[in-house]
Amino acid sequence: MLIDRYSWPQKLALYAAMAVFLTFILLPFLEMFRTSLSPMSHLFHAPYEIWSDKFSFDAYFAMWKKVPLLGRYIWNSIFIASAVTALTMIFVIPAAYAYARLDFPLKNLSLGVFLSVNMFTGAVLLIPLYRVMNTLGLLNTYWSMIVPGVAFLIPTGIWLLRSYLEKIPRELEEAAFMDGASRLYTLRRVVLPLAVPGIMVVGVSVFIGAYAQQYLFAITFNQVAELQPLPAGLNQFIGYQTVEWNQMMAAALTGVLPVMIVFLFLQKYLVAGLTAGAIKE
Amino acid sequence: MATLNLQNITKSFGAAHVLHGIDLAIKDKEFIVFVGPSGCGKSTLLRIIAGLEAATAGQILIDGVDVSDAAPVDRGISMVFQSYALYPHLSIYENIAFPLRVQSLPETEVKAKVGKAAEILKLTDKLALKPGQLSGGQRQRVAIGRSIVRSPKIFLFDEPLSNLDAALRGDMRVELSQLHRELSATMVYVTHDQIEAMTMAHRIVVLNKGRIEQFGTPMELYHHPATKFVATFIGQPNMNLVQASVLGTTNGLTVEFSGGQRMTLPVDCTTATVGSLVDVGIRPENLMLGDGLSMTVRVVERLGGVAMTYGDMPDGTRICAALPGDTPVAEGAVVGLGLNVADAHVFDASGAVMRRLNAPTLVV
Repeated sequence: MLIDRYSWPQKLALYAAMAVFLTFILLPFLEMFRTSLSPMSHLFHAPYEIWSDKFSFDAYFAMWKKVPLLGRYIWNSIFIASAVTALTMIFVIPAAYAYARLDFPLKNLSLGVFLSVNMFTGAVLLIPLYRVMNTLGLLNTYWSMIVPGVAFLIPTGIWLLRSYLEKIPRELEEAAFMDGASRLYTLRRVVLPLAVPGIMVVGVSVFIGAYAQQYLFAITFNQVAELQPLPAGLNQFIGYQTVEWNQMMAAALTGVLPVMIVFLFLQKYLVAGLTAGAIKE
Repeated sequence: MATLNLQNITKSFGAAHVLHGIDLAIKDKEFIVFVGPSGCGKSTLLRIIAGLEAATAGQILIDGVDVSDAAPVDRGISMVFQSYALYPHLSIYENIAFPLRVQSLPETEVKAKVGKAAEILKLTDKLALKPGQLSGGQRQRVAIGRSIVRSPKIFLFDEPLSNLDAALRGDMRVELSQLHRELSATMVYVTHDQIEAMTMAHRIVVLNKGRIEQFGTPMELYHHPATKFVATFIGQPNMNLVQASVLGTTNGLTVEFSGGQRMTLPVDCTTATVGSLVDVGIRPENLMLGDGLSMTVRVVERLGGVAMTYGDMPDGTRICAALPGDTPVAEGAVVGLGLNVADAHVFDASGAVMRRLNAPTLVV
């Protein structure tokens, strides 16, 4: 399209802006990777050296011995985030559909109340949540990290998916209704298949949210080492005398890797989902 | 058999009254068109018949049975939507089969019914495609296919041709009329396009501001519009309305135009009073060059067979005449326009018609 044609100074400015942005985003990862390769003795070396002959992947092997449960932690992280995502979506999909299509009393107010929950960070509510978990007997179980995660992620999930569902033409549902389809049949056969990109976007954002928030819930509600997710498990690299920074960075990168790979594959859905409905087909 | 009776249907959205007591009796196998300007309530009325909206008051009877509270599928009604409402993720086959899937019919039966519908609509070689791969006219046919597989008693169409280009619309009009004959079902069709109404309908319902202005055959509406609204709505280009004052009411209505021309029009003028003002309605196609009204020509549109001549009368009233294509009229010239007095329509101050006495009695 003509509107997408830029002169070379414009292009230069665009690429420069992108470079600045990407540097900010990626530099921490590069530094993590560099740290993970450095021997401990090299870490506090001055002046700063970007590359050294002493760099090696040793930390990636040593970390499993230093923290024997590391594999378990990585698995726990993925398990907890996946369980949170699955449970959240089970609640979010029907709720978002109801908010998008049905009329019921206090519709806007109730959604506002849900969203206002998100105004509080989990940290503010930790003590009351601890008491709730204690009363329900959920402390020191996977549930203690899953249930609060789900509760905090439902409101934004509803909000995101609702606006996506609202873009699905109402006439499609009316046509199905004319043909005798019930609401649930219509949801299953018509609405959900069309909402797949939107569901993907919400699912991914819920997963990221679940991954990010599990540290707080893990260190507060769980004392059982076998159940800890990776972010909490990384604490074990902090010893009494030294912090094994290189191994900690290696473990963090290794833990994030499987998630990154999945996201690379989901990327095409994400892009489709974020732009769907923006143009007339 | 499917008759459709609407009894005193009203509809309000909060304080907005959209329909005011609609009474309508539609016969079996009739092709009925609801026509009217946007916002007249025609689509709302159709949605009430469909069961997508509930009427505020009144009854809907199909074959004499009150279905006002029944679900659409139990009314035996199917509907074709303006946007086609095809499911983009399903194949054409599954789109047409959708109503049958809802009933969970066995696959063999589904296959037979979809096959038959596809044959009627010439879609047999398109069944494996997705809606996005079809042209507008083909999508329209798929939407019709989905509505016929269920063999409903009554078909509803909500402006189904408005998304198509002009040439395709002409073809689809013919196809729909043909389909109506093949299915011999009752059809109710909503449009704002009076050409669709005139060409396809057995009878037309003209709606205005939530009320039925007139219900009759296309030629009845053309020759005997009941109100000024119907007169100006039906016919292309619109009927000219020229104000005149009543001079006499014996042996027809004698009127005088502002230019001083006098005419005696053969209409039923029992309600007219001498000295009152009336609107004389003259269709452009009934005007010819001759003695009578005078017009300063503004624009001439030569369409080939017809020269649409637009101009102003001395008092500023706009007037249009459909003259033969080769008529030597020039823009800026002053010409005289004559008419056969039997072709004139007369409306009183309230917009009601004084019935023409010598109008053609074509029965269609």
